[in-house]
Amino acid sequence: MNMKIELKKFGDLLTSRQDGKEALAAIEQQLQTLSENSVIEIDFDGVITFTPSWADEFLTKLVERFGTRVTLINTKNPSVIATLSILKKLG
Amino acid sequence: MINKPLTIGKAAKYLGISVDTLRRWDKNGKLFAKKSKGGHRYYEELVLKSFKEDVFALATAWVLDAPSVPKQEFYCPTSSEFRGRLSKLQSSLGKVDELKDYYSLIVAVVGEIGNNSFDHNLGNWPDISGIYFSFDVAKKQIAIADRGRGVLRTLKKVKPSIRNDEEALHTAFTEKISGRAPESRGNGLKFVLQVILERAIQLEFYSGGAKVIVTKDDKTLDIQKTDLYYSGCLALIEY
Repeated sequence: MNMKIELKKFGDLLTSRQDGKEALAAIEQQLQTLSENSVIEIDFDGVITFTPSWADEFLTKLVERFGTRVTLINTKNPSVIATLSILKKLG
Repeated sequence: MINKPLTIGKAAKYLGISVDTLRRWDKNGKLFAKKSKGGHRYYEELVLKSFKEDVFALATAWVLDAPSVPKQEFYCPTSSEFRGRLSKLQSSLGKVDELKDYYSLIVAVVGEIGNNSFDHNLGNWPDISGIYFSFDVAKKQIAIADRGRGVLRTLKKVKPSIRNDEEALHTAFTEKISGRAPESRGNGLKFVLQVILERAIQLEFYSGGAKVIVTKDDKTLDIQKTDLYYSGCLALIEY
């Protein structure tokens, strides 16, 4: 079964490394029960402020583990666009 | 309000800065003292009041002065306190119609700079832990400061070839490097630079004996030596 993560459940201000780590820890159990080949859909709807520090601890870690199985939706917010762009640029 | 005269000691207390800073400001013209007929220096309360509302001046004084805990309204001793206040900034800027397209970017820039202070100084604050954070939505100004180890000392751990504060600032804004090695991350100030180059935001960033001013479309990254020494980091943002 696919997994959907609504980021707004962690708040609309996602900025610090610490908060990113805690968010990842909060979904760890679900990740462990994820079946092979299922997709993780990350929904940015409702997020206002998003930064590379938070993303490094959450998104980057998920992509390192699950690769292309991670998909992103509702990424139109300017700080989401800017953060995803710098992560892509700096790898 | 009565425009009563205050002695230099009372004026310093009123502004929450040191007498030395006031003397320096008098000398360099930033804030002149008046002189009584008897030759004593004094300050008018109304002048001080308008100065007190200057978020940049007070944050700068806090970094340059001898160590002191900031006034509570400007002080974030922990990152969770900072997050709370950042959330207030987000909500205040969110109400400004002209910022609706990019207020989240302003908050993201402030968030990265403030969180950098905590991430790079955790357990290592030289004197006062935590950060100074104030903003004035009407004047469109935001100040963030820390009395931490500064960019040079932080980056030298992972890049020993950095020789001075200017090189440290250049590295921090342009190279992918982290002062928290072995973690190979550290995109904060690169992100800040990328955002500001594309938006109507201006940043003055000071650390140690160097400063850089970053503005929209200006890719030169003009880093300069400063006359004064800024312990930790000081960021002044206008939008």
